[in-house]
Amino acid sequence: MEPTPSAPPAPRRRRIRWAPYILIAPTFIYLALFFAWPMAQGLILAIYDDEALLTLRAEASRDAPKVGHLPQGTHLEIQGQQSNRLEPGAELGENALTEIWFYVRAEDADGGPVAGWVPERRIRVRERAPDGSPLRGTVRIKLGQDVDPRTAVHGEPREQSPVVGYLEPRTPVAIQEQAVLEVWYRVRGLDEGGEPVEGWAPSRYIQVFGDENRGRVDRGDTGQFTTRFLAKMWNDRFFRPAVTNTFLLMVLIIPTQFVLAVVMALVIQAQLRGSDLLLYIYAIPLGVSDLAVGILWFSIFTQHGLLNSVLYQFGLIDAPTTYLSAETKYWIIVAVWLAEVWRATSLVMVIVVSGLQAIPGEVLEAAELFGANLWQRVRYITLPLLRPSLQVALILRTILALQVFAVVIALSGGDVVTVLANEVYRQYTEFRNPNVAAAYAGFILVLSMISAFFYLRTIRSHQEVAG
Amino acid sequence: MSVQTAPTRVELDPEVLALHRRMRRRQQLRRGFTYVLGVLIALWYLVPIYFIGSMAFTTPDYVRAYPKSVLPFIPFSLDTMGFFLRSEGIIPGVINSIVVAVFTLVLSTLIAAPAGYAVSRFLFPGRDFFRLAILAVRAFPVVILAVPLAVVFIAAGIFDTVYAVGLMHTALTLPTTVLVIGSVFASIPYELEEAAMVFGCTPFQAFRHVVLPLVLPGIAASAIFTFVMSWNEVFAASILTVQNRTLPAQVLFALSNSSEAYQFAGGFFMMVPALIFIFFIRRYLFNMWGQVTK
Repeated sequence: MEPTPSAPPAPRRRRIRWAPYILIAPTFIYLALFFAWPMAQGLILAIYDDEALLTLRAEASRDAPKVGHLPQGTHLEIQGQQSNRLEPGAELGENALTEIWFYVRAEDADGGPVAGWVPERRIRVRERAPDGSPLRGTVRIKLGQDVDPRTAVHGEPREQSPVVGYLEPRTPVAIQEQAVLEVWYRVRGLDEGGEPVEGWAPSRYIQVFGDENRGRVDRGDTGQFTTRFLAKMWNDRFFRPAVTNTFLLMVLIIPTQFVLAVVMALVIQAQLRGSDLLLYIYAIPLGVSDLAVGILWFSIFTQHGLLNSVLYQFGLIDAPTTYLSAETKYWIIVAVWLAEVWRATSLVMVIVVSGLQAIPGEVLEAAELFGANLWQRVRYITLPLLRPSLQVALILRTILALQVFAVVIALSGGDVVTVLANEVYRQYTEFRNPNVAAAYAGFILVLSMISAFFYLRTIRSHQEVAG
Repeated sequence: MSVQTAPTRVELDPEVLALHRRMRRRQQLRRGFTYVLGVLIALWYLVPIYFIGSMAFTTPDYVRAYPKSVLPFIPFSLDTMGFFLRSEGIIPGVINSIVVAVFTLVLSTLIAAPAGYAVSRFLFPGRDFFRLAILAVRAFPVVILAVPLAVVFIAAGIFDTVYAVGLMHTALTLPTTVLVIGSVFASIPYELEEAAMVFGCTPFQAFRHVVLPLVLPGIAASAIFTFVMSWNEVFAASILTVQNRTLPAQVLFALSNSSEAYQFAGGFFMMVPALIFIFFIRRYLFNMWGQVTK
């Protein structure tokens, strides 16, 4: 129970002892990797939009100089298109327009050798390697009148590149290589300052409208800090109810819990026969998940549940009352309140009992000798000495109360009465918006940090007092 | 104490006797009052558990019935529980939950045990910072971690696996485990180790033969608690899994489209480990949670 080392070896000043550092290293590294780093990532997610701006370039190439940026969502005119080789490992998404070109070898009409690039659509593949890559094929026939029936062979896999030869229809070709090309668009639109900019951008970032001449920037390729997600959270229609309910529940739950926890701790400390069994019963909720507790209280408050059945049997009601509906929000709040008190008071009780155990029995005995009654002893001796424990429990409970989640879902379905943690879940799973979810999470973090600040200060001051 | 110091009966002043009687009666009255209070609070905990337990072990028809005869003879049947266990995704969910919880338990105990030992046995520069950092971690909400970790796990290609959930749960339980194991080690006097070394043990032998047998029950209790924490965790598991849901994630997912029979049986089923394990570790609870006040 005593956390300070019972008799730690006297520190030797001569050299650094590495043993403790080696022993705590795994914990430190693990928490840095799976706690601190994701936490930082999460905060960045809330304020940084990594698809904010689309870069426009002078040519249809990644290496071409930038000519400007278009913000995500800008409407634009499409003025032309051109294909360009895809860089390996690119993530294309659903907008990307790609085409495949083959490097072929064949003989032209005069029997001379021709080698160069032909679009995949001009070749009918006749033979494939076991891995599926094309080996041989024939040149397709061009349909329609007044067209050159021959197929042009290019020096590079682009329509604009010089033609190195022509192939007759049905010529057999050997396919030696294939290249994947992405279409680039030449677009024109207004940048953030309202100035018109014109340049090339890959098709994967652009959503093209039906007429093929207009479109919009679907997502950008350059990140930017933004308050967009915070604003979206702030204006979310669930934000205000979530904040109100979270705080309302906190104000209801925490005082009830503390009164009940102190009473429970005093009962346990009275060392009655069977107090071991009482301790077990009181501690059960420590191991029960909040979802199960939510369901448990749902079974009590549901229309055909325990509460209505009992009231009916005592003749207090005739027809079952509906508690958990949109019209009876206050009953949902009451149910969540009771469920949370049921679930989380055990934790406070355990903290209070350990605090009680640290109070010397002589102090209470002395007070009793001088005629203090039970209430006076609790009020003037036990509670003041318990203050540090109660403070810590209070802050811990405040932080945990910000995370109330599954109980609310089980009792209200998450729509009628909502809380902050539920909005993180809703934004992430239902609306597929991790950024706004992260904004909500960041909001909870800020509230928790304010509490944690007091938490740490309390511990420090207590340590000073304890020496 | 007044009884012990009382002189023999013959010499007793009737006034003193009356005072004794009053005090005894008051003490008995107080004990009786405490008993009633204790039992009432116990009922506040037990009645809901009893009710949902009886709903879990009856027929689905009875779950729908109204009014229910609450006490004491709700018809016993395995139908509801059987219906729940046969529902889609429940058995795989239970298996996933157990795998995640065991993974978390092993990883978290392996990483935390050395740190707990270091915190309880060495005074080193940075010890207080480490303890405060650990406490701070415990104060941060899981809600914040889940979303960025989901993004990271998707990028790493381990999203929607039990191991991803296990890694996350380890991050959640690690601080508690370090503090608990630290307090378990701190409860073993260092003099025992010292004595062993005086009698010729190496530090490792002293640890292996003297400390380890004494701390094993405490570490087992902390491991059990880690298991229960992981088994219960809903939020992160729901965000990190899509196909391979753990049991709470599966129940949460199916909650809005399920019958009351399913919900009640599921709720009780999830409580069972708590009912069993808390019984075994109740003595260590103060070690675990008392920590935070120190």
